[in-house]
Formats: sequence, C-alpha cells, structure tokens
Amino acid sequence: MSHESTQHTIPTNALRLSDCTEDELTAEMLRDGMSSALFEEVVRRYQKSVYYHCRNLLVSHDDADDAVQNAFIKIWQNAQQFRGESLLRTWVYRIATNESINLIRKRKPTIDFDEAQPEMAELISEDLYLSGDDIALKLQKALCFLPFKQKLVFTLRYFEDLSYADIALLTSTSEGALKASYHHAVKKLEIYLNVLH
Amino acid sequence: MDLENEKIGPAYKAPDSYFKETESRLMQRLGIQADVQEKLADDPAVDTAQSAIQTITSAAPLDTTGVQKRARKQDPMTAKSEGINKEVDALGNVVIPPLTFTTNENPEWVNFGAIPEEVSSDADNLDSQIKIVSFADANASTEGEKSVLEAIEVTGEIPIAMEVPVIEDELSPAANETTELVVESPWGDAALIETSINNPLETVEIPVATEPKVIVHEVPESVGLDELESYLTGKNQPAQTPSEQTVDAKIEAAVPLATPRVEEVSSPREMEEKPISLEAPATAFAPIAGRQNESATPGWLGVAAALAAIVAAYFIWTAIQPPKSDTEQVALQEEEATIPEAPLDEQVQTDTIPDGRQIVEPLIMEEMPKYKEPNVYTIIDAADMPERTKLALQDLEDNGLATFDMEDELFEELDFESL
Repeated sequence: MSHESTQHTIPTNALRLSDCTEDELTAEMLRDGMSSALFEEVVRRYQKSVYYHCRNLLVSHDDADDAVQNAFIKIWQNAQQFRGESLLRTWVYRIATNESINLIRKRKPTIDFDEAQPEMAELISEDLYLSGDDIALKLQKALCFLPFKQKLVFTLRYFEDLSYADIALLTSTSEGALKASYHHAVKKLEIYLNVLH
Repeated sequence: MDLENEKIGPAYKAPDSYFKETESRLMQRLGIQADVQEKLADDPAVDTAQSAIQTITSAAPLDTTGVQKRARKQDPMTAKSEGINKEVDALGNVVIPPLTFTTNENPEWVNFGAIPEEVSSDADNLDSQIKIVSFADANASTEGEKSVLEAIEVTGEIPIAMEVPVIEDELSPAANETTELVVESPWGDAALIETSINNPLETVEIPVATEPKVIVHEVPESVGLDELESYLTGKNQPAQTPSEQTVDAKIEAAVPLATPRVEEVSSPREMEEKPISLEAPATAFAPIAGRQNESATPGWLGVAAALAAIVAAYFIWTAIQPPKSDTEQVALQEEEATIPEAPLDEQVQTDTIPDGRQIVEPLIMEEMPKYKEPNVYTIIDAADMPERTKLALQDLEDNGLATFDMEDELFEELDFESL
C-alpha cells in the first residue's frame, strides 16, 4: 500500500491535529498523506457523524456499524487517491455513502433507488440506540417513505448541515438538482408528519 | 409542521462507549496503534508529547459495559438481520409428551386418529384408548370371502350360483322330467352348474354331458357332393317341440350372463366360399331417369349481361395501361385551374430574445404560475436533451428563474479519484 511507502510525518503534537480546522486537516493530509495520527484524528472527528449518517440511510444499527467500519478501512487503504478537490469531510461522507449503497445492494440486489422502502420504517422502533424523542422517531419513519435520492440529500442537508456545494461535490450532481430533491423531500416529509402526528 | 423552521434532532443516540469500542476495534483491525507506538519510540523528539499522542481510547482499557452483545438472526429470503428476542421466540413452543405403545403386530394398524387430544396428553389413559387391530382380526371380518376362496382352492371348480324362475304353466311334463341339460362347455370337461332355486324356485343340478354324439345319416344317391351339406343341415335340424323351445328360451332369459356361452364361429369353408363382389354398393344417389325441363330465360337478360361485360372490360383495360409521361402529366396540370397560394406568415423576429429563453418560454409561461418559490420542475430525460436546451435550462437556473430536478448519475458508482 502506498501509505506504507510514503514517509509520513510523525506529528510532534497531537493536540495540534485536534485543534485543526477542516481546511487545515485537508491541507495536512495533502501535504503529508494519511498518517496514523491523522487517521486517528479523522476517525475521532467524523466517526459519530458518519455513523448517524449511515444509520439514517440504513436504519439498522448493525448495518450502519458495518458500513462505518468498511468506510474507514477504505479511507485508510485509499488515502493516496484523495486529490483535495473537496474537503476531507466531504470525501469521508462520500465513501460512507458509497458503502451504505453497497450494503443496501448486497442486502437487496433488486432494489430500485427511485422507490421508497417503507418496510424499513417498522424496524426503527425495534432497534438499538434510539434517542427517545417521539417526533424525531416519526421523522425517521417518514424518511423511509422517501426515495433514496431525496432521503440522502435531506439527511446530508438537514442533519449534517452540509452545504449544497459540498453535497453537490459528494453526489456529483448539480446544486439545482439537489435543491429540487431537498424541496421535494421536505414537502413529502411535512405531509407524512402531519398524517403521522 | 414546518420542517424548515422547526429543527428536529436525530432519532438515534449511541453511547460514547460504543464509539470508543468501535474506534479501538477499527484500529486493531488496521494495526495502527502498534505502528504509532513504534514510531513514537524511535523518535526522541516526541518524548515530551508522547502522553498527549496516546489517545484516550488506546490508553484506556476497553469499556464494553454499555455495549449489548446480540445474536443476529438473518432471514434467508429477505437478508434482513434481526435481533433475537428470546421471549418472543419462546412463544409457540409446545412440549409434546412422548407417545409410547406396545404391540407385536404391524404398527401400521394402530388407529392414531381415534385418540382424542385430551387423552393423548394423559399417558396413563393412553394405552386403553389405543385400539390395536391385528391382522387376524382383520381376517375374521372377511370369513365368508375366505371360505369361498378355500372352496376354489380345494375343488378347483367354479361354483356358479344363479336363480332360475320356474314357470310351471308353460313347462310341459316332459320338460319337468328333464333335469339334465346338455350344455356345450367351452372347457370340455365336466362342469357342475349349481342352480339354487328358492321357493318357488328349486335347486337343480345340471351335469354337463361331454361325450360327443355320432349320428349316421343315409344320403340318397341323387344328392350330389355340392348339395350334401345343405341336405345334412336339413336333416340335422331336429323338430323342436314348442315345450322344448319354451324351456330353452326361458333358461336363456333367466341365465343371460352367468352361463358360459360359445360364440358361433363360421367354418373356414364358409369364409372361403364367400364371393367378393366388386360392384359398388347401392347408394341413395341413384341416377335420375329422364331429363328435367329447364325454365325459359328472357332474352333481354343476355343482352344486358353482354353490355356489362363490355363495360367491365373497358375499365380493366384502362386500369392496366402504363402511366402517362411527364410531359403529358405537366400538360394535364397546366390545363387545370391553379389556385394561387396564400403568402407565408412573416417570420417572427426572435433575435432580441436569448436562444435559451425562446425554447423554454412556453414552459415558463404555462408552468411557472402554478408554482411558488422555489420553482421546481422535474425533467426526466435531461441526459438525452440537446446541448442547446441544456444551456437554456442552465441559464434559467443561474438567473434564479427556475430550478430543474434533472435525472442524473447520482447513484452511479462513485469513484475515489473524482474528489
């Protein structure tokens, strides 16, 4: 693997990495590659958000756990392919999203991502690590009635607070299309929530 | 509910211990922790910062108190994994007491269906409820059939039981005395035919005569060899008395099926002597003798038919003629009156409107009023659109006039090199 052949710079002060901003962390990776310390910082910084992102997409805790593990392993193994055209966080989210899609395809090879998966709503209340917020649970159930495309855009925008520009980079689509998808998702969710309320 | 204004938090909240466990598991899988420790040990410059480099996760012992270890149950059809709920899984499990019975007969004869459910749960009462049907018991019920079978095996004779009604009025004294009937048996041996006749029927035993009778006829010389057969046939036919005919008829009517019958087979000689007729058999379509007179037809009908044939021939002839030449066709068209064409509509001056707006302006004028902010339009075949249309749509989007939801390659496989 290339990260083994690359002479990683050993961080002289780990606190420096934890204090880095997103841009500084991305620059650090572009300059010195993915060192072990940097990888630990990446895991520590993005693990939770990536887990919740995968959990929103996959619903099941076990699936989300598998997706997060696979995503970080791929980040470590393919670190040299990061070209810095986006923030490191966007790249991490992209790989996690890819892993979630692959996991869904593995679980259900005939899945149509333009169709909703309402049967997943029944699994939410039976799974682990629920916040206990009733309205949040209803929102998660309502998300299962969205097509995967709209669900992805909504979760990235609404829960992860990614900008349209970052989501456009992440999904390789135009901002206009993302705005449209987000708009459709919000309208549908409001209808579902009013019905479920 | 307004999602834009009311922020709803995530529905999931995993404990920190889970993330610590996940992180340590990940590092162990990748072998990163050892790598960091080795590099730190080799570099004296980082001695002072070594304690800071060591992460809390790597330094602290693994805390798995909050982690629930669950078995996963995967549905082979849907590939969904579910946690095992022992309380739910325990429902529906019924402990069935062992069913024991002792028999030295065929176990297939034990009638399990006759045991009621409440008895089957009681082991003490169960034995009394089991009815064992042995092979001997089964044979006892069919004793009559068995005796018949034994009679057949011992004697080798086939007893034939038949009821013959006796009609005394029609039977002559001679017929009453005759109790032995000569029956031509197909087996050739003596066959005993038992006739059980109840009152007014009576049992009659009819021994079958098996010795052939030889009858010698005197044939006069005037009978030739060709006439010999017909002569003998006439001689051999005994004059049956009405009483005998009546008895035969009655017996035949009374014993239609049980009595063995011999089918009459024509002799080979008769088969050979049948002449083969080559003439056609008589049919219902005999030739009609004589000729029928036809009705008279009026003479003008023939003239009309001839005229119609001539007209039809003319049209056919003109239809199969080759087309006229171009010059003739042009001359023909010149002869016809020409209609002056109306002047074309003047070209609309659209140079002042940008190209993109020209294409989508009808869409904007018709569709836009239906929507409020944001003006979102779903376009399915965006990839197949001409480049000019795409530019126009992009122009509209850039100016904030509309937002187009285009189908794109959002969920194509993402590659790592694109970012």
